[in-house]
This record gives sequence, structure tokens and C-alpha cells, in this order.
Amino acid sequence: MADTAEYVDKKNRKGMKDEKGVEDEKGVKDEKGVEDEKKEGVIADSLTKVFKTRKGGEVRAVDSVSFRAYFGEVYGLLGINGAGKTTVLRMLSTMLTPTSGSVSICGFDVQENPRGVRERIGFMSTATSLYGRLTAREMVTYFGRLNGMSAGAIQTRIDELFDLFEMKEFADRRCDKLSTGMKQKVSIVRTVLHDPEVLIFDEPTAGLDVLTSRTIVDFVRDCRARNKCVIFSTHIMEEVEKLCDRVGVIHEGRLLADDRLEDMLKGSEAHRVEEAFVSLVGKQERSGK
Amino acid sequence: MNPVSTVFRKELLDVLRDRRTLVFMLVLPTLAIPAIMWVTTEMMTHFIDKLAKERVDILVINPQVALEVTEELAARADPKGRAMELVEVLRRQGLSEKELARTKGEPRRFAKLLEEKGIDKEKLLKEIRSVVGEGEFDAEPRSILAQAYPPNFRIITPEDLKVSAEVLADPAKKEEFLTEAIRSGKIAAAVEFEKETTRLLNEYSTASIAIYYLQSVDRSEAARNGLSRVFKGMGRKLVTRRVSDKELPAGFARPYKLDVKKLPGPGPLVKLLSQMLPYMILIFAFLGAVYPAIDLGAGEKERGTLETLLVAPVSRLSLVLGKFLVILCAALTSALLATVSLALSLNIGVFSELAELGGSSFSLGVIEIIAVLSMIIPVAAIFSSLLLALSIFAKSFKEGQSYAAPLQFLIIMPAFVSFVPGVKLDWVMASIPVVNISLALKEIFTGNLDRHWYHVGLIFVSTTIVASLLLLFATRWFQREEVLFRN
Repeated sequence: MADTAEYVDKKNRKGMKDEKGVEDEKGVKDEKGVEDEKKEGVIADSLTKVFKTRKGGEVRAVDSVSFRAYFGEVYGLLGINGAGKTTVLRMLSTMLTPTSGSVSICGFDVQENPRGVRERIGFMSTATSLYGRLTAREMVTYFGRLNGMSAGAIQTRIDELFDLFEMKEFADRRCDKLSTGMKQKVSIVRTVLHDPEVLIFDEPTAGLDVLTSRTIVDFVRDCRARNKCVIFSTHIMEEVEKLCDRVGVIHEGRLLADDRLEDMLKGSEAHRVEEAFVSLVGKQERSGK
Repeated sequence: MNPVSTVFRKELLDVLRDRRTLVFMLVLPTLAIPAIMWVTTEMMTHFIDKLAKERVDILVINPQVALEVTEELAARADPKGRAMELVEVLRRQGLSEKELARTKGEPRRFAKLLEEKGIDKEKLLKEIRSVVGEGEFDAEPRSILAQAYPPNFRIITPEDLKVSAEVLADPAKKEEFLTEAIRSGKIAAAVEFEKETTRLLNEYSTASIAIYYLQSVDRSEAARNGLSRVFKGMGRKLVTRRVSDKELPAGFARPYKLDVKKLPGPGPLVKLLSQMLPYMILIFAFLGAVYPAIDLGAGEKERGTLETLLVAPVSRLSLVLGKFLVILCAALTSALLATVSLALSLNIGVFSELAELGGSSFSLGVIEIIAVLSMIIPVAAIFSSLLLALSIFAKSFKEGQSYAAPLQFLIIMPAFVSFVPGVKLDWVMASIPVVNISLALKEIFTGNLDRHWYHVGLIFVSTTIVASLLLLFATRWFQREEVLFRN
């Protein structure tokens, strides 16, 4: 794996507006006072999503979820399958409209200015989803164009990133002929080509082997190092321990905890995230009954 | 770059690299039509010829009541005996038996032989008529050949079949026996004369002849046709003799002589094409659109690329338009290739059966081409947007295909109207989708655009409106959460 530390922030080179400074006029200080200098990339406020079922009923997939994610930090959304993680992330990334509540990303409201939000986020889910009949280069170029980048800017970024991730040798091979690890790298480059300020990962390591998920984990760390705001959903406890600065535990659509990792462990008197998670979910289930 | 063109170029590249799409869009319309037509026509000609050349037995139930007639029947039905006169006619025209044999009874070869020898078909026909009498046949090679190549019959009697007189005397038993004999292939048909045949004929009266056949057996049906033809010829000859016996003028038994004259106009080839092309165009416009449509909509969901695409800062309209245009291109390519391929293979005359049709060759003027395109483009747009909408709704490639299949039937049925004789393009027909396009194309191909331009105009406008609404609908669907994320 390439050491991504050498990868410096090229934001100002690609000719897109730098929105830093816009997003944080109402920046709320962390109650503990530790986060003074940190700015919020994502503010989710009482986010709720209700789906209608076919029989006319309603399902509250997400129920008044509020949290903040900061630049230079990784926010982990931890929950079992079906907890509502994907729905939250889809609302953050403008794919789903919240039933109530609001999300602001870099100061842009998701509902009022979805385009402004889309220009500033990079979204990656199960990382192998690529157009199989396009080459790695074509794939990345397509999304560069969709993000409004000029041909020159795309070329510069491709040269830079393909070099960094050692992708030159398979740059012109079709995506369906690539190994999982190679696909992973194409997905990463696709996500960061337009140099987004906020990165949203929906279980990016699901179904990957140790080596390929390492690529992702290293990449997430690198994003943090470059002062990006990263939101990362997972059901794997170790990943949270390894990566996240803050953790939101989500269960049955509700956010049970939203704290710094160490504070959460302290609060539940647990040593491992797993224990903390089980105890939180257990409490919720008991109170539910 | 304009986002629509970005999406369009990427999707086009993607689709062109998909073998499945290429087969449906390029290979199928170009090769399938000529191949299917070639195989079917060749097979049909082969079996029809085989049937015609096969020697079959005809049972004459009571030859003793009409010996002379039976003899003449045997002579006429036997290719050697009966055709001697005809062969004589052909020989007088400079065609040897050997040369005739080489044509193997194929109209195409026969036509070529006549051409080589510089034989005038009309003159030949006149000579043939002098022998076989006036018939309902014309100077086409097929018709001449039908006269020159008699039905290949062998006349047999009840003794040959060892059937007792009692069986044949009882109507019920006779029927049962004949049915069984034809079904088992012993005979192809049977002939029974009226008892007084000889006397009736001598008295210049009418004698009835019964022909028994089984409709469900092809060779029996062919034998019935052959027998009717032979008896007709014999009747005409008898009339000529009666007229001369009574010293009546030749016109006595022939008060009218029909002189059917073809006016210049679209030949049978144009007629056939104007029926086939509208149907083919509609079917292939649909087929060409199916795979790219499913790939570009449901395929995004199945690959998991949909989310990435939706997060891109591009309007949903741009995405839908880019995808729609690629599907439309595929539909049009497929339809146009099918048209060109069909028109070319018919005009070149690859098919023996069809080449014979002849007539004026098929060509369109600039105005007609514009009119044809103004019909094809909006209807292809309807198919494309409809399929794209379904595809966006479908969760997977498979689900998309299961929606496209029934839709295909909805297209095939109304498209088939171009084959239905007598259906005219009027205001009612012009308001039925797909049916209107099929009929309008038929009229344009037959050269009737001048009489239907107002229908064509209306159909263009209404089809374009429907296509736009469907495209709008597809765009709406591409914005609805419950359609995009159905799971």
C-alpha cells in the first residue's frame, strides 16, 4: 500500500471554489471545550425518515438522529444490519429527502441546495461498484466530468492519483478484468478525484479480505490527515477502534450514543467497543420492552 | 462539457462494448431477416416442388362407364402421355426436352432459359392455349410451367386395390374405404363418373364427375387441384369439338374473352415490402432498445453504481436525457439496419420465390425518406422512454427483462396490422398508437404519401407528444426515492 502521507491537499489546484470559512459561522463548540478549533463538516439535526410500506403502514427507519462530524476527524456510524446507517448516509448525500429534520454539509442545506452539497462530497459504498466495460481511466474521467472538472484538471489529478496508488499498469484495463484490490483503488480515486471536503463511506469494507480492506482503512486515515471530514458506517467493531475519533451508535433508527470513542468506552465502563455496543443496545431493548 | 453529452458519450461507449447489445442492435437486424427469409422460402419451394413432382395414384372407381374419358384422363395426367402435345409446342419454340429437363421445373431456371433463348412469353402462351385450351393462367414462367408440367398421376382401378364391388356400392362403406386409402397413402384422390356419362356426353349434355379427397392430407389436396385442372382442360377441348360438330362459330362457347391488363404501378415486390417493412421496423426499433435500456437503468442498480451517479452534481434530467439518447440511437440503428437489409435482399433478389415477383424495384424519394424518419424517430422515442422508465423501476437486469417481454407483445400485435389486408389509414386508425405508425409507413412505402400527408402530420405530432410525456415521466421516476430505492 502506498504511503498516502505524501499526498498533499491539492484542493486549490483543480479550480473549484474553496468553501472553507463559509461553513462554520454558527460552529457550536463542543461542550467539553476540546474541539474549539475544529469546524463541523456535517451537522445532522433531528434527522427522521419514515418509509411507507406497501400495506399502507409506516416504518421509522431513522428517528430524530442528531450528530456533528468535524473536519480532521473520522465519525463512525456503528450499528447492526438494518439499524438505519445506510438511510442516514443516503440522506446526508442527497439521495433521500428527510421526512423531517435537517442536514447541513459545509454550510449547505441538503434540501435547499443539494447541488452545493453534491459538489462537496465524495460518496463510496461497497467499493467494487464500477462500470465493468469501462477502463479504470474512463471510469474516473466520467465522474470527473460529471463533477464539472475541466479535461486538464482531470488529467492532472489522474496522473497524480494513479501514480500515488500505483495504478498506472492497469489504468487502461477494463474494470471487470481487475482484481478486487485494483477495483478498490479505482473506486477510491473515483471518490476523491474532485477533492471533496466531506467523505461519506457506507460500509466500504463489507465483504472484503484483510488486505483489500487495509487499502480502505489506510485511505480513510489519510483523509483525516488531510483535514477532511469523514463519515464512516460499519458494523465491524474493530474498525471503529482502529479508525474513528467519534462514534454514533445507531440501533433501530435511533442514535443511542454520540461521543468521542474514549468517552464512550469510559461512560459504559467497557474496554472494547463491542462491550460498549452490546451494553448500549441491551439497555435500549430493555427500556423498549 | 454539457452533462447530457458527458452521460451520452459514456453510455454509448459502455453500450457499444456490450456484446449482447451489439448482437441485438447490429447483427440481428442485418443478418437475421435475410437468413430467416432465405431458409423459409427455400424450404417452401423445396417441399412444394417435391409435392408437385411426386407421382401419386388416382383411383377411378368406375372406369367402365366412361372409358374414353378415363383414357384421356390417364393420357393427360401422365407426364409422358399427356404432355407430349405441350412438349411439342415447346419444341416448336426451340426448347428441347433436355433443356426443359434441366430446369427441373423451377420457375427461376425456366425464366432464365426463356430469356437465353429469346422466346417471347406471350407467343408461347398463345401456343400453349391452342393445345390446352383457354385457361386462367398468364405469361408468367410459373404459370407456363404449371401447364408444361402436368400433375404426375397414375390412374388405377378398383382391381388394382383389390376392393370388392360391394364396398364401393355402399356409400358409407365407400367413404370409409376411400378415407382409409388416402390416409394410408395408397391413393391421393378418387374419381367417380356418373353412370350415364357416355350417353350424356354424346347428347351434348352435362355429366357430373365426383372427386373424393381428404383436406387434411397435402398430397390429396394437391391431387384435387390437379384433377380440377385436367378436367377443365378436357372440358374446354370438348366444347371446341362440340362447337365445330354443330358448325357453330368459334365464339359460340366463348362469349367473353378476358383481357386482363396490368397498369403501371407498384409491383408485387413493393406490395410485399410495404407490408413487411412497417412490422420489421417497429419490432427491431423495440428489440434494439431493450438491452441498452435495461442495462442503463436496472443495470446501474445491479452493479451498485446508481448511488455514485446520483451523488454526482448533475441534474436528474441530464442523466435521463443522456441515457435516453443512447437508447434511442440503438433503437434507430437497429430499425434502419433492418430496413436496409430487408430492402436490399429483396431488391437483389436473393430469394428464388421472391425474385420472381419482379415488378418495379423498391426506392424512396427524399420526401418519403423524411416522412419515414418522422414516423420512426418519435415511435422509437416512445419505446426508448418507456423501456427506460421500466428499467429505472426494475431492481435488477432480470426484473427489467421480465417487464420488457410482455411489452414486446403489446408492440408486436398492433405492428402486425400492416399485414392485414383492407385496413385503411383513416382518422380512427391514425389515433391508435403503433397501429398508426405501421399503417402510415405502409402507405408511404406504397407511394401514397400524397394522399395521407395530413394523417402522417397528425401522427408525427401526436407520437412526439406521447414520447415527450413518457420521457418526462421517466425523469420523474428518476427523482422518486421509492422507485430508485425499492428495496
